[in-house]
Amino acid sequence: MDQQKQKILIVDDEKGLRLGTKRLLEKEGFEVVAAENGTEGIAFGTSIEFDAAIIDMKMPDFDGIMVLKEIIKKYPNTACFIATAYASYDTAIESARVGAFSYIPKPFSPEELLLQINKGLEKRELNIQKEQWRKEREERLLEVAYEKTRLNTIINSISDGVLVINKNGEAVLYNPSALKFLVLKSITIEEYIIDKLPEKLAEQVNNFLKSSEYLKRSLTVQIHMKDNDLVVEATSSPVPAPDGSLAGVAIVIKNITELKKLEFLKSQFVSMVSHELKAPVAAVYGFLKLISDKSMNLSPEKQDEFIDRSIIRLDSLLKMVNDLLDISRMEMKTTQREIIELNLPDIINNILELFQLEINKKNIKIILNAALSTPSLSGDQDEITRLFTNLISNGIKYNKQDGSLNIKIEKIDDYLVTEIKDSGIGMKSVERNKLFHEFYRVKNEFTKDISGTGLGLSIVKRIIDSYAGKIEVDSEFGKGTSFRIFLPVIKNSQKNNKETLTNMQLA
Amino acid sequence: MVPADKKILLVDDDLDLLEQNKILLESKGFNVVTAEGSKKGWEVFKQEKPDAAILDLIMEEHDSGFILSYKIKKDELGKNIPVYILTSATYVTGFKFGASTEEEKEWIKCDGILNKPIMIDDLVNKLESFFDNKA
Repeated sequence: MDQQKQKILIVDDEKGLRLGTKRLLEKEGFEVVAAENGTEGIAFGTSIEFDAAIIDMKMPDFDGIMVLKEIIKKYPNTACFIATAYASYDTAIESARVGAFSYIPKPFSPEELLLQINKGLEKRELNIQKEQWRKEREERLLEVAYEKTRLNTIINSISDGVLVINKNGEAVLYNPSALKFLVLKSITIEEYIIDKLPEKLAEQVNNFLKSSEYLKRSLTVQIHMKDNDLVVEATSSPVPAPDGSLAGVAIVIKNITELKKLEFLKSQFVSMVSHELKAPVAAVYGFLKLISDKSMNLSPEKQDEFIDRSIIRLDSLLKMVNDLLDISRMEMKTTQREIIELNLPDIINNILELFQLEINKKNIKIILNAALSTPSLSGDQDEITRLFTNLISNGIKYNKQDGSLNIKIEKIDDYLVTEIKDSGIGMKSVERNKLFHEFYRVKNEFTKDISGTGLGLSIVKRIIDSYAGKIEVDSEFGKGTSFRIFLPVIKNSQKNNKETLTNMQLA
Repeated sequence: MVPADKKILLVDDDLDLLEQNKILLESKGFNVVTAEGSKKGWEVFKQEKPDAAILDLIMEEHDSGFILSYKIKKDELGKNIPVYILTSATYVTGFKFGASTEEEKEWIKCDGILNKPIMIDDLVNKLESFFDNKA
């Protein structure tokens, strides 16, 4: 770039002077363009950027001031000179005012001209450099501003609360989540904030601020906010100043309410499980202690009875452990599912066969009503069998002598709906609400001799939920209970729409 | 020494434990009446006017034993008899409660918490020392 010749424009209507100057400057190594009037001067001077321009003041079309103005408007860094034979104080002022670098009185000597032009070019270089610096500085300021906005946007968008406090205990930065989790209506930047913080957090922050030495570690505290159920975990970390002293404290506030709720549910579940497991163990232990204690003088009949009762308790304990293992497997989602097309009426018939002994014992009438065209169900055979086994088992267990069990399968909208209706002991509405809770068993005079783990319906609910289905319960105390199980069917598996009903009576 | 004239009320919804504890207490010479739930327990209490009561904590509800104990202690017939709560809750919940200080007794309204399974000799000692102090 520097190798390129510097360009100079000469605008003068006086031919001799024009060509003479051109020749002189070309000899000095400049590239020179000459214009013979103002119009041409404006045209050349605004088409490319010249390093310098020497403009005659008096021309027939435009005066030199006019030409200079136009050129400077386009290229402010072109060093312009006004040349005139009528040098006057006024023209000097005027040309300086419109931006001329200098003013050359005619006639001028070559030395005088070159001196002036070199000064002008030097000035032009300085101007260009100055401008470049200004531009760079502006760009950098913009970058800083952008960086700051970006940081703010990031801090504002994180879901954890962020609050930064300076060493005077004043808030310097916060985000909306911090307001929410600290249950504050507002924070003003530079207000003293420590008093507004929950006591435990204020104490933690003061640990940093009031310590004589710089504490490097972070501190964490869990806070149960007053007046609502919010539980937050606040972690305070020291922010160092460039000299290594403490500049302030940054606090990150996490909402751990849900976590705490889960923790509570888990410990409740564990405590319930242990209680339910302990009861049969205690009963069997008690029986064995009594049998082994010769001083009790138990009759052989009593001893046999206690052994039988121990076996029953252990049997139900075993079932409960198995149910719990199933639940745990479902929760860990480690169940290996093999999804195949299932024929629900077949599955139900198989289950009913397994319960034939109990059905005969109670003389229960089974009515299975299923459309021939029942669409197949996509599911895991073991899970679906387990689901209906639990429900049918309840329908028999809680039924009356000579009762009935009605099972109806039909397709309603996109669901395969199975209704299982028994003529059993039924439930009160309070009991119905707790039905799917783990270990809940309806306790009354009818149920005291019926064994169960209290987990059957809880498993039913889990299986149905995992298939995106739903279950409805309708029950009347003393009259019976009906369950309606909705399992979604995959649409392309419907082939036949004929709704022919078959009746199958099993007892 | 053998308090045949002392009648103990046992309330538990676990029929096996109810029978076992009945046999144990009877073997120590006590006269035992039983009930299979807190509602029945209250009826038997009013009817039999026992000299002591041993109540299971978790029956129909998780605090059925406390509620029945409270009712017995508020009753004219029950305010001077020892009432013990039977539980395995201290082990399983990690939630500790006892009835050893006056303050706890005031709140829980019973004379002691017994852990399952019952250590019969401990219980007999407790009952006997209570009856001896009364005598």
